[in-house]
Amino acid sequence: MSTSPDSSAAYLLIFRNTGAENYRHLSAQQQQELVGRWNAWFEDLLARGKATIGQPLEDATRIVAGPGGSRVVDGPFPEAKEAVGGFVTLQVSGLAEATAIAQRHPGLEFGMLIEVREMTPHCHLGVNTRTVTATA
Amino acid sequence: MSADASSSPSPPNQPAQLVEHFFRHEKGRLHGALVRLLGVHNLSLAEDVAQEAMLRALRTWSMGGVPANPSAWITQVAMNLARDALRHRKMASGKEGAIITHHEQMTATPAVAWEAAQEIRDDALRLMFVCAHPAIAPDAQVILALKILCGFSTGEIARAFLATESAIEKQLTRTKQRIAESGIGFELPEGENLAPRLDGVLAVIYLLFNEGYKASSGDRLLREELCQEAIRLGGLLVAHPAGRSPRCHALLALMLLTSARFPARLDDQGGLLRLDDQDRTKWDRQLIAQGLGHLGQAAQGHDLSEYHLQAGIAALHCLASDYASTDWEKILLHYDELLKLKPSPIVALNRAVAIAHLHGPQAGLDTIATIPQREKLDQHYLLHAVTGELHWRLKNHQAAAWHFRRALALAQVGPEQVYLSRLIERADPASANPTRSFG
Repeated sequence: MSTSPDSSAAYLLIFRNTGAENYRHLSAQQQQELVGRWNAWFEDLLARGKATIGQPLEDATRIVAGPGGSRVVDGPFPEAKEAVGGFVTLQVSGLAEATAIAQRHPGLEFGMLIEVREMTPHCHLGVNTRTVTATA
Repeated sequence: MSADASSSPSPPNQPAQLVEHFFRHEKGRLHGALVRLLGVHNLSLAEDVAQEAMLRALRTWSMGGVPANPSAWITQVAMNLARDALRHRKMASGKEGAIITHHEQMTATPAVAWEAAQEIRDDALRLMFVCAHPAIAPDAQVILALKILCGFSTGEIARAFLATESAIEKQLTRTKQRIAESGIGFELPEGENLAPRLDGVLAVIYLLFNEGYKASSGDRLLREELCQEAIRLGGLLVAHPAGRSPRCHALLALMLLTSARFPARLDDQGGLLRLDDQDRTKWDRQLIAQGLGHLGQAAQGHDLSEYHLQAGIAALHCLASDYASTDWEKILLHYDELLKLKPSPIVALNRAVAIAHLHGPQAGLDTIATIPQREKLDQHYLLHAVTGELHWRLKNHQAAAWHFRRALALAQVGPEQVYLSRLIERADPASANPTRSFG
């Protein structure tokens, strides 16, 4: 499955449907608990060397399209379910492990969708993506 | 207290941790800051803005970690949202325009730390005075305080009071309408206004504590949190120059000394244990020490409030190494004073218990017989439970069982019912229900 020679592959977890509406019904106490569980999920991955980067994204979105970037459209766009709220990059043995990690995410019970994508080992310029350093 | 702890920077590479109840308490703190900015008439807007800021924090901190100073982070977000909300409402006419300008000045110049801390303490106190305003009924005051000051959700309040969420929601809406109509301001009462308004605040805190203390069948953990909240608010009060009165210390002492006994209050099955059955080694020594400290501060000056007397009684119980060594003579003196200060059938009944301990069960029954307006207690299980107990001690087992049965019929709460069932079995073993094996 993995194309990486050391049988370790980079995966990207894309978090969708993380809008505020999903958490509005929670009490302050439950909100705090969710923050704690969510961070524990990520910190455990960091500690085990499984996660490399994790980052939330702002809602504000700009789409650039057309030849020469002639079309510039500012969001956010109405489909909250589709909106990407954040991402995590993983260094794991393969799709099965990346999936298992995603399945343990505490945000899933509040409607979050996680897209699991393998990152190709080399970018089109031939620069090894492993040079990405952990910043989280 | 919690805000201070959370603002200390965490060591590098160590993710910041949120102190217990950070979100809930932060919400209450934000309400104070936002109401100062938006005005008491915009209480609902302040709540919406605070909720929105909490949601931003939830999403950002979940995916990006908790910042080193979460309180400052969330305040900044809330203030920005409040400004946006005001702009959005297009309230740029005179007054609201001035609010925006004032706010921009506030956020443009970072406040000196101690000044900001002072402001926060003032806001919390101002908000207490809003919640305890005499224009609001006492029950509604407690609900509002839980929502606004303590940051509980309507769902949690409903669970604590065994009410439906929509009933709580409706009551809060009515209360907020009343606040808007009454034109309640956001200031600290001064001069001769301060003392009576402070009494109102103490009454709400005391009600809040009693709601949590009652062995009601609502969510037990939540109820203990109500008591903790009442103690926290009492602590905020005595930390403030405007609230630092002897009776505030007395109330805080009363709550601390009472809650020190919580760990011993229930048996393993969740059944109620009376004072004489409690394992006193389980009493919280630290809370007792704190309570006695505040009782000492309460004694400065000549004020003698009902809180002083009740705290004194609680202290006498806490200071007795076992039930037999309880100083009933001093307790009786306290009840005598309390009865003069605040005559009530319940206080008179408690006084009768003290008399029974000093002069025997018959003296206790005689005292009960002379309680003025005793009929007010007829529907209260406690009168019949105490009467039954005194008959039991006189070995009138038939009469004891009869009174325990009346008490059981009036008790509404699970643990109390279980407790009374046990007493009935003891007084009248023949009537025991064999299926109730736990006794």
